[in-house]
Amino acid sequence: MSDESHAPEERKVSSLAQLARSIEPGRDLWPQIEARINAEHAPRAAAAREHAGPRRPMLWPSFAAAAMVASVAVGVWIGRSVLPTPGSPAGTSSPASAARGSAGLLGGPTAFEAAYVSDPRYLRERTALIRDLEARLASLPPAAREKVVKSLTAIRRAKEDLESALGKDPSNALLQELLVNTYQDEMRVLTDLHQASEADTGI
Amino acid sequence: MIEAQAEETRIDWEAALVVRACSGDSRAFERLYREHVGRVYGLCLRMTRDPHLAEDCTQETFINAWRALSKFETRSALSTWLHRIAVNVTLARRRKASPVEPGVEDEEDAGGAIEWTLETPVEVREIEAAIGALPEGARDALILHALYGYSHGEAAGMLGIAEGTCKAQLHRARKLLRERLEVEVG
Repeated sequence: MSDESHAPEERKVSSLAQLARSIEPGRDLWPQIEARINAEHAPRAAAAREHAGPRRPMLWPSFAAAAMVASVAVGVWIGRSVLPTPGSPAGTSSPASAARGSAGLLGGPTAFEAAYVSDPRYLRERTALIRDLEARLASLPPAAREKVVKSLTAIRRAKEDLESALGKDPSNALLQELLVNTYQDEMRVLTDLHQASEADTGI
Repeated sequence: MIEAQAEETRIDWEAALVVRACSGDSRAFERLYREHVGRVYGLCLRMTRDPHLAEDCTQETFINAWRALSKFETRSALSTWLHRIAVNVTLARRRKASPVEPGVEDEEDAGGAIEWTLETPVEVREIEAAIGALPEGARDALILHALYGYSHGEAAGMLGIAEGTCKAQLHRARKLLRERLEVEVG
């Protein structure tokens, strides 16, 4: 029943621990699993968006995890707190100081950015979104601004760490994928921020 | 210096994938599936002795894992967690098929070592067949303890039996293997 059982010349074992622990199934089971989890996930995700409840705390140290969680949390938070309340009163912290604090939030362009995220449409949209990032941040209520800044900072750190790791292992497919995902997370935050500030100003 | 840098950039990829999967990223979950499916299917196949049933159990294991992923603590190993689910799924299927299981008396001390050696090496096919012919309880305990390396306590916990019962099942498995293979199983 193991992989070895079909070998023309049988291997002999002197310990049960030598038997293969891993046996590949005769067919790919993933498509059916994927169909089931997608069918279950769609209504669950819709319900989560409706209720926008707090996610369980993530305790893991991974930078990719940090960036992803931060962006999702900010997306949910902006959706809940900023969009429904256009014209909400400004808080105590100064928008100008927040804008100053946001400088360099996204980090500068890097060789890896050019290599892995080179779609011209993506680059145009990203450039447009970050052009007036500081002004948009300044228009947010202080609590929202703080959340966005924290999220973008986490994403920037994740990008830096991933790019550093890719510098040592440039062909690592998982690193590349995580980096692209991190850029997607960044776009999601920037888009949410853009939509929030548009709604706030009544456009 | 280089080692320190390597340590700094060391990444727990599995944890990152789990986080992404928790947020609904099925591609991340697929990566976890690809990484673990062989060991999960191997365990299900050895427990069920039926490739089709083992495939069903494997699918159900990963679907249950997807549902419960938010409860998984990354401080423990994902493989152990998946094996636990796989054993539960397989035992539930088995209970549905034949609800009565033969009991085994607890045994105080039987077979402490994880490494089960054979004095005379035997062919893989032969030993797999001998394991497959064992009674379910003895086979389950043997697979988890001797093949997958779980301790008596861990194996007993997965199977929902007392540690003494697990040891007794292992003792029984060793005795039956010895008789069938006509070699010493130590």
